Amino acid sequence: MTAKKILVADDESHILHVVSLKLRNAGFDVITACDGQEALELAISEHPDLVITDYHMPQLSGLELCQKLKEDPSTAGIPAIMLTARGYQLEPKDTEQSGICRLLTKPFSPRQLLSTVNEILRPAA
Amino acid sequence: MRRGRLLSILMVLFVLGGIECFLVSAQEAWKAGAHVEIGVLGSVLFVLGAGTGMLAITTLRKDCRQLITHIERMSLNGKLDALRTNNPEIRPLISALNEMVEHADNSVADAVMQMRELEIQLKVATAERQHAEAIIYSISDAVLVTDTFDDLVLANESAARTFQFDLDHSRRLPVEQIIHDEKLVALIRDMRQSNSKTGRRIVEHRIKGAREEKIFKVTLSSVTDNSDTPAGVVAVLHDMTREKEVAEMKNDFVSSVSHELRTPLASIKAYVEMLIDGEADDEKTTREFYEVIQNEANRLSRLIDNILNISRIESGLVQINKHPQSLMVILKEAMEVIAPQAKLKQIQLIEQLTPVFYQTMADRDMLYQAVLNLLSNAVKYTPQGGTITVQTSVDEAKRKIIARIIDTGVGIPPKDLPFVFDKFYRAEANNHMGKGTGLGLSLVKHIIETVHRGRMFVESHVGKGSCFGFELDLCD
Repeated sequence: MTAKKILVADDESHILHVVSLKLRNAGFDVITACDGQEALELAISEHPDLVITDYHMPQLSGLELCQKLKEDPSTAGIPAIMLTARGYQLEPKDTEQSGICRLLTKPFSPRQLLSTVNEILRPAA
Repeated sequence: MRRGRLLSILMVLFVLGGIECFLVSAQEAWKAGAHVEIGVLGSVLFVLGAGTGMLAITTLRKDCRQLITHIERMSLNGKLDALRTNNPEIRPLISALNEMVEHADNSVADAVMQMRELEIQLKVATAERQHAEAIIYSISDAVLVTDTFDDLVLANESAARTFQFDLDHSRRLPVEQIIHDEKLVALIRDMRQSNSKTGRRIVEHRIKGAREEKIFKVTLSSVTDNSDTPAGVVAVLHDMTREKEVAEMKNDFVSSVSHELRTPLASIKAYVEMLIDGEADDEKTTREFYEVIQNEANRLSRLIDNILNISRIESGLVQINKHPQSLMVILKEAMEVIAPQAKLKQIQLIEQLTPVFYQTMADRDMLYQAVLNLLSNAVKYTPQGGTITVQTSVDEAKRKIIARIIDTGVGIPPKDLPFVFDKFYRAEANNHMGKGTGLGLSLVKHIIETVHRGRMFVESHVGKGSCFGFELDLCD
């Protein structure tokens, strides 16, 4: 069984690094982007199984990224986790309509992030 | 005195005697043609009686004339005086007149007193009204007072400005003719129709002006007269546009601060947990994690310092120690501190400084922090191999020293340039160049302008670079 591929987008390099490391150590294949536009391009070309994105990013915000992925039939099915310090700025209807299935607030626990990822990608058989 | 009465008695006697003699002599003469002497005597007595009568009438007329002259003099002087006469015949009349005059005199005195009291009351009322109007005119809130017919009774200049009407030609006109704001007119009418005696209503109301929409807090109160019946409505409009903006800014500030604090905290928390969970499996990674934690902790500490410094300066609580300082010395020290970071990016630091003897009154630590912030920004936003020029110049005529930090960095887009000194403002286009708190430049501006009464300026061209500078007064 090939490893599930996760796209992580954040403009904070430390966060990007720590999230990638946690997921790689858990056996996932991780690709990273440091802004929304790069993430969109990677998502279209790489078709990841899951997107973990920050909300506030240059070029394209995390919400816009998820909305664009939802609009494109080839990426519409990709679930997304939003990892943000500004969760309070998001309306529930925005997240629902953009395919965002979980909202995690910074400061976050990598352990909790991993278990959320497992819940989505490796549901108990 | 007695002459009048004596004359009257004599006149009566003479007349009676005359009449008697005449009648007797006439009777006798008719019978026998005798006693002609008695007839003559009767005639004489009659003539004497008539003469005495004439004399009495003349005396009476003279007394009357005297009285008229007296009355005329009184009316001329405007002063009532007792009437006097020697004539006992008219004395009761004079007494009655005097009594009447005295009564009238008292009434006039009372009326004059009442008039004076009313005049005083009028003056007091006028002064009080002018005072109240002056208060209403002087307050910055717009005030509109209407009566039971919804006519405008009183308004102040602020109201005239807000609703653009002519204050001098607005009184006693229906309020809807003056204020073209249906909602406000309806509010005033509703308040009046509610017939409330002590009612008060506060509503938020937006008014579209020529340039911007303003938000007002409208306080509507019923006015009652002395008999406690509703007499009209007072509407006070308080412009709270600015207050709303400040409240919004405060909210933005709190939300930005919390976001800025969460970001480094998120890294610290995540990396610590990774270390605890043994995710860093070799020494190199472990060391890298410690360094990230240390750097992010420093970032957090810097952020808190900046926030505290800004708020201390803004609230005037900061302790300022100003002494004559050489700006050139401070710039050199800051350049030495920044040199290793510049070297890492192969950025050349160029020094173009005036002699050190030019001094300025400054808080050394604060000015050093400001200069260091500017230099650190220059290094952050200048790509590899660029240059940073630190330049000073002196304007002897204006007694000013000007410092410039010129970089060959990415530059700031014109749309962002007016906001670069705002708290937490970061030009989005340059976000990828480096992390920042969005507080550094705000603090620099505060240090230069608030603490040192200097002037901060910026020029920038996208792709070419930026020049951040400030000018300070030279010491005498």
